[in-house]
Amino acid sequence: MIKIQLVDDEPNILSSLRRLLKPQGWEVHTYDNVESALGGLLEHNYAVIVSDYQMPTADGVTYLQFAKQRQPDAMRLVLSAHGDRTSMIKAINQAEVYRYLSKPWNDYEVVATIKSAIDLYQLKVENRQLQNEVDTQKAMLRAREQELLRLEAENPGITRVQRDADGSVLISNND
Amino acid sequence: MSKAAIPQSEQEMMNARLEQARRQLLQSEKLAAIGQLAAGVAHEINNPVGYVYSNLQSLESYLTDLFRLTDAVDSADSLDSLKAIKQNIDYEFVRHDLKDLLAESREGIERVKTIISAMKDFSHIEEEEFKPADIQRGIESTLNVVNNELKYKAEVTREFGDLPPVECIISQINQVVMNLLVNAAHAIDDFGEIRIRTREAGDTVIIEIEDTGRGISQDNINRIFEPFFTTKPIGKGTGLGLSLSFNIIEKHNGRIDVESALGKGTCFRIALPAKQPRAPEDS
Ligand SMILES: Nc1ncnc2c1ncn2[C@@H]1O[C@H](COP(=O)(O)OP(=O)(O)OP(=O)(O)O)[C@@H](O)[C@H]1O
Ligand SMILES: [Mg+2]
Repeated sequence: MIKIQLVDDEPNILSSLRRLLKPQGWEVHTYDNVESALGGLLEHNYAVIVSDYQMPTADGVTYLQFAKQRQPDAMRLVLSAHGDRTSMIKAINQAEVYRYLSKPWNDYEVVATIKSAIDLYQLKVENRQLQNEVDTQKAMLRAREQELLRLEAENPGITRVQRDADGSVLISNND
Repeated sequence: MSKAAIPQSEQEMMNARLEQARRQLLQSEKLAAIGQLAAGVAHEINNPVGYVYSNLQSLESYLTDLFRLTDAVDSADSLDSLKAIKQNIDYEFVRHDLKDLLAESREGIERVKTIISAMKDFSHIEEEEFKPADIQRGIESTLNVVNNELKYKAEVTREFGDLPPVECIISQINQVVMNLLVNAAHAIDDFGEIRIRTREAGDTVIIEIEDTGRGISQDNINRIFEPFFTTKPIGKGTGLGLSLSFNIIEKHNGRIDVESALGKGTCFRIALPAKQPRAPEDS
Protein backbone atom coordinates (compact mmCIF):
# COMPACT_ATOMS: atom_id res chain seq x y z
CA MET A 1 0.00 0.00 0.00
CA ILE A 2 1.32 3.42 -0.97
CA LYS A 3 1.65 5.64 2.09
CA ILE A 4 1.52 9.43 1.98
CA GLN A 5 2.46 11.73 4.84
CA LEU A 6 0.92 15.22 5.13
CA VAL A 7 2.28 17.79 7.59
CA ASP A 8 0.60 21.15 8.22
CA ASP A 9 -0.04 23.07 11.42
CA GLU A 10 -3.56 23.90 10.27
CA PRO A 11 -5.90 20.92 10.83
CA ASN A 12 -8.45 22.22 8.29
CA ILE A 13 -5.85 22.06 5.54
CA LEU A 14 -5.16 18.46 6.49
CA SER A 15 -8.81 17.46 6.35
CA SER A 16 -9.36 19.07 2.97
CA LEU A 17 -6.28 17.31 1.54
CA ARG A 18 -7.46 14.05 3.06
CA ARG A 19 -10.78 14.51 1.22
CA LEU A 20 -8.98 15.29 -1.98
CA LEU A 21 -6.75 12.22 -1.81
CA LYS A 22 -9.31 9.73 -0.51
CA PRO A 23 -10.57 8.56 -3.93
CA GLN A 24 -6.98 7.67 -4.93
CA GLY A 25 -6.90 4.79 -2.46
CA TRP A 26 -3.57 5.70 -0.89
CA GLU A 27 -2.99 5.39 2.82
CA VAL A 28 -2.87 9.01 3.98
CA HIS A 29 -1.35 9.96 7.34
CA THR A 30 -1.80 13.52 8.60
CA TYR A 31 0.21 15.33 11.27
CA ASP A 32 -0.40 18.83 12.60
CA ASN A 33 3.02 19.16 14.22
CA VAL A 34 6.57 18.33 13.30
CA GLU A 35 7.31 16.26 16.41
CA SER A 36 4.64 13.66 15.78
CA ALA A 37 5.41 13.67 12.06
CA LEU A 38 8.97 12.69 12.97
CA GLY A 39 7.46 9.86 15.00
CA GLY A 40 5.55 8.75 11.92
CA LEU A 41 8.80 8.47 9.99
CA LEU A 42 9.98 5.83 12.44
CA GLU A 43 6.91 3.68 11.96
CA HIS A 44 6.07 3.90 8.29
CA ASN A 45 7.81 4.00 4.97
CA TYR A 46 6.36 6.79 2.90
CA ALA A 47 6.29 7.17 -0.83
CA VAL A 48 5.56 10.90 -0.64
CA ILE A 49 5.87 13.48 2.13
CA VAL A 50 4.06 16.81 1.72
CA SER A 51 4.92 19.53 4.20
CA ASP A 52 3.73 23.06 4.86
CA TYR A 53 6.50 25.66 4.90
CA GLN A 54 5.80 27.87 7.89
CA MET A 55 5.08 25.97 11.10
CA PRO A 56 5.52 26.92 14.77
CA THR A 57 8.42 24.75 15.95
CA ALA A 58 10.36 24.05 12.77
CA ASP A 59 9.93 25.16 9.21
CA GLY A 60 8.93 22.68 6.57
CA VAL A 61 12.31 22.68 4.88
CA THR A 62 14.07 21.72 8.09
CA TYR A 63 11.54 18.96 8.59
CA LEU A 64 12.00 17.67 5.06
CA GLN A 65 15.75 17.65 5.58
CA PHE A 66 15.21 15.29 8.50
CA ALA A 67 12.84 13.22 6.44
CA LYS A 68 15.40 13.00 3.66
CA GLN A 69 17.95 11.60 6.05
CA ARG A 70 15.55 9.04 7.45
CA GLN A 71 13.81 8.03 4.26
CA PRO A 72 15.91 9.04 1.28
CA ASP A 73 13.58 7.34 -1.18
CA ALA A 74 10.45 9.24 -0.12
CA MET A 75 9.62 12.07 -2.51
CA ARG A 76 9.40 15.46 -0.83
CA LEU A 77 6.91 18.20 -1.65
CA VAL A 78 6.35 21.63 -0.11
CA LEU A 79 2.87 23.14 0.02
CA SER A 80 3.26 26.74 1.09
CA ALA A 81 1.20 29.89 1.46
CA HIS A 82 4.41 31.85 1.56
CA GLY A 83 5.59 31.70 -1.99
CA ASP A 84 8.62 33.94 -1.60
CA ARG A 85 11.86 33.27 -3.40
CA THR A 86 13.96 32.62 -0.33
CA SER A 87 11.75 29.85 0.97
CA MET A 88 11.60 28.29 -2.45
CA ILE A 89 15.36 28.36 -2.97
CA LYS A 90 15.89 26.95 0.50
CA ALA A 91 13.46 24.14 -0.20
CA ILE A 92 15.14 23.18 -3.43
CA ASN A 93 18.73 23.45 -2.28
CA GLN A 94 18.51 22.17 1.25
CA ALA A 95 15.73 19.62 1.20
CA GLU A 96 15.91 18.73 -2.49
CA VAL A 97 12.17 18.86 -2.85
CA TYR A 98 10.56 17.42 -5.91
CA ARG A 99 7.98 20.20 -6.30
CA TYR A 100 7.06 23.42 -4.59
CA LEU A 101 3.28 23.88 -4.58
CA SER A 102 1.57 27.04 -3.42
CA LYS A 103 -1.59 27.68 -1.43
CA PRO A 104 -4.32 28.12 -2.49
CA TRP A 105 -3.63 25.03 -4.52
CA ASN A 106 -5.19 23.53 -7.59
CA ASP A 107 -6.68 20.14 -6.69
CA TYR A 108 -5.81 18.60 -10.01
CA GLU A 109 -2.23 19.79 -9.82
CA VAL A 110 -1.77 18.41 -6.31
CA VAL A 111 -3.09 14.98 -7.25
CA ALA A 112 -1.12 14.86 -10.50
CA THR A 113 2.07 15.92 -8.75
CA ILE A 114 1.67 13.29 -6.05
CA LYS A 115 0.97 10.67 -8.70
CA SER A 116 4.10 11.46 -10.63
CA ALA A 117 6.06 11.57 -7.37
CA ILE A 118 4.78 8.08 -6.58
CA ASP A 119 5.89 6.88 -10.01
CA LEU A 120 9.37 8.18 -9.36
CA TYR A 121 9.37 6.67 -5.90
CA GLN A 122 8.44 3.30 -7.31
CA LEU A 123 11.17 3.58 -9.91
CA LYS A 124 13.67 4.40 -7.21
CA VAL A 125 12.58 1.47 -5.08
CA GLU A 126 12.57 -0.90 -8.03
CA ASN A 127 15.94 0.35 -9.08
CA ARG A 128 17.27 -0.29 -5.61
CA GLN A 129 15.81 -3.80 -5.60
CA LEU A 130 17.39 -4.59 -8.94
CA GLN A 131 20.64 -3.13 -7.77
CA ASN A 132 20.50 -5.32 -4.66
CA GLU A 133 19.78 -8.36 -6.78
CA VAL A 134 22.71 -7.61 -9.04
CA ASP A 135 24.91 -7.06 -6.01
CA THR A 136 24.01 -10.40 -4.38
CA GLN A 137 24.49 -12.21 -7.65
CA LYS A 138 27.84 -10.54 -8.11
CA ALA A 139 28.84 -11.54 -4.59
CA MET A 140 27.83 -15.13 -5.25
CA LEU A 141 29.85 -15.18 -8.43
CA ARG A 142 32.82 -13.75 -6.66
CA ALA A 143 32.59 -16.36 -3.89
CA ARG A 144 32.43 -19.13 -6.44
CA GLU A 145 35.40 -17.72 -8.29
CA GLN A 146 37.39 -17.48 -5.10
CA GLU A 147 36.58 -21.05 -4.19
CA LEU A 148 37.83 -22.16 -7.57
CA LEU A 149 41.03 -20.19 -7.13
CA ARG A 150 41.55 -21.72 -3.72
CA LEU A 151 41.06 -25.25 -5.03
CA GLU A 152 43.35 -24.54 -7.90
CA ALA A 153 46.05 -23.29 -5.53
CA GLU A 154 45.72 -26.35 -3.31
CA ASN A 155 45.59 -28.86 -6.13
CA PRO A 156 46.89 -27.34 -9.31
CA GLY A 157 44.96 -28.51 -12.30
CA ILE A 158 41.94 -29.67 -10.35
CA THR A 159 39.61 -27.05 -11.77
CA ARG A 160 40.59 -28.00 -15.25
CA VAL A 161 39.87 -31.73 -14.86
CA GLN A 162 37.53 -32.80 -17.59
CA ARG A 163 35.04 -35.52 -17.13
CA ASP A 164 33.26 -37.80 -19.45
CA ALA A 165 29.48 -38.05 -19.61
CA ASP A 166 29.53 -40.95 -17.11
CA GLY A 167 31.78 -39.03 -14.69
CA SER A 168 35.05 -40.75 -15.39
CA VAL A 169 38.13 -38.54 -15.53
CA LEU A 170 39.51 -37.76 -18.92
CA ILE A 171 43.22 -37.38 -19.28
CA SER A 172 44.03 -34.71 -21.81
CA ASN A 173 46.93 -35.06 -24.11
CA ASN A 174 48.14 -31.55 -24.53
CA ASP A 175 50.02 -31.30 -21.19
CA MET B 1 -2.75 89.26 13.17
CA SER B 2 -2.54 91.89 10.48
CA LYS B 3 0.07 93.64 12.62
CA ALA B 4 2.28 90.58 12.71
CA ALA B 5 5.78 91.18 11.44
CA ILE B 6 7.04 89.25 8.42
CA PRO B 7 9.32 86.93 10.42
CA GLN B 8 6.29 85.89 12.45
CA SER B 9 4.33 84.70 9.43
CA GLU B 10 7.47 83.10 8.09
CA GLN B 11 7.70 81.16 11.27
CA GLU B 12 4.07 80.17 10.95
CA MET B 13 4.76 78.97 7.46
CA MET B 14 7.75 77.01 8.67
CA ASN B 15 5.62 75.48 11.39
CA ALA B 16 2.93 74.54 8.95
CA ARG B 17 5.48 72.94 6.68
CA LEU B 18 7.04 71.08 9.55
CA GLU B 19 3.64 69.82 10.60
CA GLN B 20 2.94 68.70 7.05
CA ALA B 21 6.27 66.90 6.85
CA ARG B 22 5.54 65.19 10.13
CA ARG B 23 2.17 64.01 8.87
CA GLN B 24 3.71 62.71 5.71
CA LEU B 25 6.32 60.83 7.68
CA LEU B 26 3.59 59.31 9.80
CA GLN B 27 1.67 58.31 6.74
CA SER B 28 4.64 56.79 4.97
CA GLU B 29 5.70 54.85 8.04
CA LYS B 30 2.17 53.52 8.14
CA LEU B 31 2.26 52.54 4.49
CA ALA B 32 5.62 50.88 4.99
CA ALA B 33 4.21 48.96 7.91
CA ILE B 34 1.22 47.89 5.86
CA GLY B 35 3.50 46.81 3.03
CA GLN B 36 5.56 44.75 5.44
CA LEU B 37 2.40 43.19 6.77
CA ALA B 38 0.90 42.48 3.38
CA ALA B 39 3.09 39.42 2.92
CA GLY B 40 2.07 38.07 6.30
CA VAL B 41 -1.59 38.79 5.64
CA ALA B 42 -1.41 37.05 2.28
CA HIS B 43 -0.15 33.99 4.08
CA GLU B 44 -3.02 34.19 6.55
CA ILE B 45 -5.54 34.41 3.75
CA ASN B 46 -4.00 31.82 1.43
CA ASN B 47 -4.42 29.08 4.01
CA PRO B 48 -8.19 29.33 4.47
CA VAL B 49 -8.78 30.12 0.81
CA GLY B 50 -6.75 27.02 -0.03
CA TYR B 51 -8.83 24.59 1.98
CA VAL B 52 -12.21 26.22 1.37
CA TYR B 53 -11.60 26.08 -2.35
CA SER B 54 -10.52 22.47 -2.26
CA ASN B 55 -13.45 21.56 -0.01
CA LEU B 56 -15.86 23.03 -2.54
CA GLN B 57 -14.50 20.68 -5.14
CA SER B 58 -14.88 17.70 -2.80
CA LEU B 59 -18.42 18.89 -2.09
CA GLU B 60 -19.12 18.84 -5.81
CA SER B 61 -18.02 15.24 -6.12
CA TYR B 62 -20.09 14.27 -3.05
CA LEU B 63 -23.14 15.89 -4.62
CA THR B 64 -22.53 14.14 -7.92
CA ASP B 65 -22.54 10.85 -6.03
CA LEU B 66 -25.66 11.71 -4.08
CA PHE B 67 -27.50 12.71 -7.25
CA ARG B 68 -26.49 9.42 -8.79
CA LEU B 69 -28.39 7.81 -5.96
CA THR B 70 -31.47 10.05 -6.08
CA ASP B 71 -31.67 9.85 -9.88
CA ALA B 72 -31.61 6.08 -9.63
CA VAL B 73 -34.75 6.18 -7.49
CA ASP B 74 -36.77 6.66 -10.70
CA SER B 75 -34.90 4.28 -12.95
CA ALA B 76 -33.75 1.46 -10.68
CA ASP B 77 -35.62 -1.79 -11.14
CA SER B 78 -35.18 -3.05 -7.61
CA LEU B 79 -34.40 -1.87 -4.13
CA ASP B 80 -31.27 -3.97 -4.20
CA SER B 81 -29.75 -2.04 -7.06
CA LEU B 82 -30.38 1.19 -5.14
CA LYS B 83 -28.68 -0.31 -2.13
CA ALA B 84 -25.76 -1.30 -4.28
CA ILE B 85 -25.33 2.29 -5.46
CA LYS B 86 -25.58 3.54 -1.90
CA GLN B 87 -22.84 1.15 -0.87
CA ASN B 88 -20.78 2.09 -3.86
CA ILE B 89 -20.69 5.81 -3.16
CA ASP B 90 -19.65 5.28 0.45
CA TYR B 91 -22.82 6.98 1.63
CA GLU B 92 -22.06 6.76 5.35
CA PHE B 93 -18.73 8.46 4.90
CA VAL B 94 -20.13 11.24 2.73
CA ARG B 95 -22.98 11.81 5.13
CA HIS B 96 -20.64 12.13 8.07
CA ASP B 97 -17.96 14.13 6.30
CA LEU B 98 -20.37 16.69 4.83
CA LYS B 99 -20.92 18.21 8.26
CA ASP B 100 -17.20 18.59 8.87
CA LEU B 101 -16.59 19.88 5.38
CA LEU B 102 -19.18 22.62 5.79
CA ALA B 103 -18.14 23.55 9.31
CA GLU B 104 -14.48 23.80 8.36
CA SER B 105 -15.23 25.81 5.25
CA ARG B 106 -17.40 28.20 7.22
CA GLU B 107 -14.55 28.61 9.68
CA GLY B 108 -12.22 29.43 6.80
CA ILE B 109 -14.51 32.09 5.40
CA GLU B 110 -14.95 33.61 8.86
CA ARG B 111 -11.20 33.78 9.16
CA VAL B 112 -10.86 35.66 5.88
CA LYS B 113 -13.68 37.98 6.86
CA THR B 114 -12.01 38.78 10.18
CA ILE B 115 -8.70 39.53 8.54
CA ILE B 116 -10.26 41.80 5.95
CA SER B 117 -12.28 43.78 8.45
CA ALA B 118 -9.24 44.02 10.72
CA MET B 119 -7.27 45.45 7.82
CA LYS B 120 -10.02 48.00 7.29
CA ASP B 121 -10.20 48.91 10.96
CA PHE B 122 -6.49 49.12 11.04
CA SER B 123 -5.88 51.33 8.07
CA HIS B 124 -8.53 54.06 8.49
CA ILE B 125 -6.22 56.52 6.82
CA GLU B 126 -8.83 59.23 6.44
CA GLU B 127 -9.75 59.24 10.15
CA GLU B 128 -7.71 62.08 11.52
CA GLU B 129 -9.91 63.35 14.32
CA PHE B 130 -10.18 62.48 17.97
CA LYS B 131 -13.22 60.33 18.68
CA PRO B 132 -14.25 58.10 21.57
CA ALA B 133 -13.10 54.61 20.64
CA ASP B 134 -12.99 51.09 21.99
CA ILE B 135 -9.32 50.41 22.70
CA GLN B 136 -9.84 46.69 23.21
CA ARG B 137 -11.46 46.28 19.83
CA GLY B 138 -8.54 48.20 18.32
CA ILE B 139 -6.10 45.80 19.97
CA GLU B 140 -8.04 42.80 18.65
CA SER B 141 -7.99 44.19 15.09
CA THR B 142 -4.29 44.84 15.37
CA LEU B 143 -3.70 41.32 16.67
CA ASN B 144 -5.55 39.94 13.70
CA VAL B 145 -3.39 41.92 11.34
CA VAL B 146 -0.08 40.93 12.94
CA ASN B 147 -1.10 37.42 13.91
CA ASN B 148 1.17 35.92 11.31
CA GLU B 149 4.21 37.71 12.74
CA LEU B 150 3.37 36.66 16.27
CA LYS B 151 2.03 33.16 16.24
CA TYR B 152 5.31 31.51 15.40
CA LYS B 153 7.18 33.52 18.02
CA ALA B 154 4.98 33.74 21.05
CA GLU B 155 1.88 32.84 22.88
CA VAL B 156 -0.23 35.95 23.25
CA THR B 157 -2.24 36.34 26.42
CA ARG B 158 -4.74 39.09 27.09
CA GLU B 159 -5.62 40.47 30.49
CA PHE B 160 -8.22 43.06 29.65
CA GLY B 161 -9.83 45.24 32.29
CA ASP B 162 -13.06 47.18 31.82
CA LEU B 163 -12.22 50.28 29.86
CA PRO B 164 -14.24 53.40 29.18
CA PRO B 165 -14.28 54.71 25.61
CA VAL B 166 -11.04 56.61 25.02
CA GLU B 167 -10.97 59.82 23.08
CA CYS B 168 -8.27 59.17 20.51
CA ILE B 169 -7.38 58.67 16.87
CA ILE B 170 -7.84 54.93 17.00
CA SER B 171 -5.95 54.12 13.80
CA GLN B 172 -2.89 55.79 15.30
CA ILE B 173 -3.22 53.97 18.60
CA ASN B 174 -3.53 50.73 16.64
CA GLN B 175 -0.33 51.62 14.89
CA VAL B 176 1.48 52.13 18.19
CA VAL B 177 0.20 48.79 19.48
CA MET B 178 1.31 47.14 16.27
CA ASN B 179 4.82 48.60 16.56
CA LEU B 180 5.11 47.36 20.12
CA LEU B 181 3.82 43.88 19.26
CA VAL B 182 6.13 43.49 16.28
CA ASN B 183 9.10 44.72 18.34
CA ALA B 184 8.19 42.24 21.06
CA ALA B 185 8.06 39.36 18.57
CA HIS B 186 11.40 40.43 17.08
CA ALA B 187 12.97 40.44 20.56
CA ILE B 188 12.06 36.80 21.16
CA ASP B 189 14.64 34.28 20.01
CA ASP B 190 12.79 30.97 19.93
CA PHE B 191 9.33 30.98 21.37
CA GLY B 192 8.10 33.14 24.22
CA GLU B 193 5.19 34.96 25.65
CA ILE B 194 3.61 38.32 24.95
CA ARG B 195 1.16 39.68 27.50
CA ILE B 196 -1.22 42.48 26.71
CA ARG B 197 -2.84 44.14 29.69
CA THR B 198 -5.33 46.98 29.87
CA ARG B 199 -6.81 48.72 32.88
CA GLU B 200 -8.38 51.94 34.00
CA ALA B 201 -6.51 54.09 36.50
CA GLY B 202 -8.43 57.20 37.51
CA ASP B 203 -9.12 59.14 34.35
CA THR B 204 -6.39 57.46 32.35
CA VAL B 205 -6.29 54.16 30.57
CA ILE B 206 -3.20 51.93 30.73
CA ILE B 207 -2.07 49.55 28.01
CA GLU B 208 0.88 47.28 28.75
CA ILE B 209 2.70 45.08 26.31
CA GLU B 210 5.20 42.77 27.92
CA ASP B 211 7.45 40.22 26.30
CA THR B 212 9.86 37.51 27.44
CA GLY B 213 12.46 38.56 24.87
CA ARG B 214 16.10 39.59 24.95
CA GLY B 215 15.54 42.84 26.85
CA ILE B 216 17.26 46.18 26.19
CA SER B 217 20.70 47.12 27.52
CA GLN B 218 21.25 50.19 29.73
CA ASP B 219 23.17 51.86 26.91
CA ASN B 220 20.36 51.43 24.44
CA ILE B 221 17.34 52.09 26.59
CA ASN B 222 17.80 55.85 26.47
CA ARG B 223 18.07 55.82 22.72
CA ILE B 224 15.22 53.58 21.59
CA PHE B 225 12.80 56.48 21.05
CA GLU B 226 15.27 58.32 18.80
CA PRO B 227 14.35 58.31 15.14
CA PHE B 228 16.43 55.81 13.16
CA PHE B 229 17.86 54.12 16.23
CA THR B 230 17.79 50.42 15.52
CA THR B 231 19.78 47.35 16.47
CA LYS B 232 18.22 45.32 13.68
CA PRO B 233 20.02 44.43 10.47
CA ILE B 234 19.46 46.57 7.39
CA GLY B 235 16.16 45.73 5.79
CA LYS B 236 14.70 44.46 9.04
CA GLY B 237 14.25 47.69 10.92
CA THR B 238 14.26 51.38 10.07
CA GLY B 239 14.31 52.50 13.68
CA LEU B 240 11.20 54.63 13.22
CA GLY B 241 8.66 52.46 15.02
CA LEU B 242 9.20 53.73 18.53
CA SER B 243 9.94 57.33 17.63
CA LEU B 244 6.65 57.58 15.76
CA SER B 245 4.86 55.77 18.54
CA PHE B 246 6.30 58.32 20.96
CA ASN B 247 5.06 61.18 18.78
CA ILE B 248 1.61 59.70 18.52
CA ILE B 249 1.26 59.18 22.26
CA GLU B 250 2.59 62.67 22.93
CA LYS B 251 -0.01 64.11 20.58
CA HIS B 252 -2.62 62.24 22.59
CA ASN B 253 -1.33 63.89 25.77
CA GLY B 254 -0.29 60.49 27.06
CA ARG B 255 2.94 58.85 28.16
CA ILE B 256 4.91 55.87 27.00
CA ASP B 257 7.39 54.21 29.37
CA VAL B 258 9.60 51.19 29.23
CA GLU B 259 11.06 48.77 31.73
CA SER B 260 13.47 46.12 30.67
CA ALA B 261 15.78 43.46 32.07
CA LEU B 262 18.44 41.94 29.81
CA GLY B 263 17.73 38.32 29.11
CA LYS B 264 14.36 38.51 30.87
CA GLY B 265 12.10 40.73 28.84
CA THR B 266 10.65 44.14 28.27
CA CYS B 267 7.44 45.91 29.19
CA PHE B 268 6.11 48.99 27.40
CA ARG B 269 3.42 50.96 29.19
CA ILE B 270 1.15 53.48 27.51
CA ALA B 271 -1.01 55.81 29.58
CA LEU B 272 -3.74 57.69 27.72
CA PRO B 273 -6.20 60.21 29.11
CA ALA B 274 -9.74 58.96 28.57
CA LYS B 275 -10.76 62.50 27.66
CA GLN B 276 -8.56 64.93 25.79
CA PRO B 277 -8.04 68.23 27.59
CA ARG B 278 -9.83 71.00 25.69
CA ALA B 279 -7.29 73.19 23.98
CA PRO B 280 -7.97 76.91 24.68
CA GLU B 281 -8.51 77.80 21.01
CA ASP B 282 -10.93 74.90 20.66
CA SER B 283 -13.50 76.14 23.12
N1 LIG C 1 10.37 44.74 23.07
C1 LIG C 1 11.66 45.00 22.82
N2 LIG C 1 12.63 44.19 23.30
C2 LIG C 1 13.94 44.43 23.05
N3 LIG C 1 14.37 45.49 22.31
C3 LIG C 1 13.47 46.32 21.80
C4 LIG C 1 12.07 46.14 22.02
N4 LIG C 1 11.41 47.13 21.39
C5 LIG C 1 12.35 47.90 20.81
N5 LIG C 1 13.58 47.43 21.05
C6 LIG C 1 14.86 48.00 20.59
O1 LIG C 1 14.61 49.33 20.19
C7 LIG C 1 15.08 49.53 18.84
C8 LIG C 1 14.23 50.57 18.16
O2 LIG C 1 12.88 50.08 17.96
P1 LIG C 1 12.00 50.71 16.82
O3 LIG C 1 10.69 50.04 16.86
O4 LIG C 1 12.02 52.19 16.95
O5 LIG C 1 12.78 50.36 15.51
P2 LIG C 1 13.00 48.94 14.83
O6 LIG C 1 12.05 47.97 15.42
O7 LIG C 1 14.44 48.62 14.92
O8 LIG C 1 12.61 49.24 13.34
P3 LIG C 1 11.14 49.52 12.75
O9 LIG C 1 10.19 49.48 13.90
O10 LIG C 1 11.23 50.86 12.13
O11 LIG C 1 10.92 48.45 11.77
C9 LIG C 1 15.03 48.17 18.22
O12 LIG C 1 15.93 48.04 17.15
C10 LIG C 1 15.42 47.28 19.40
O13 LIG C 1 16.81 47.24 19.58
MG1 LIG D 1 9.94 48.28 15.53
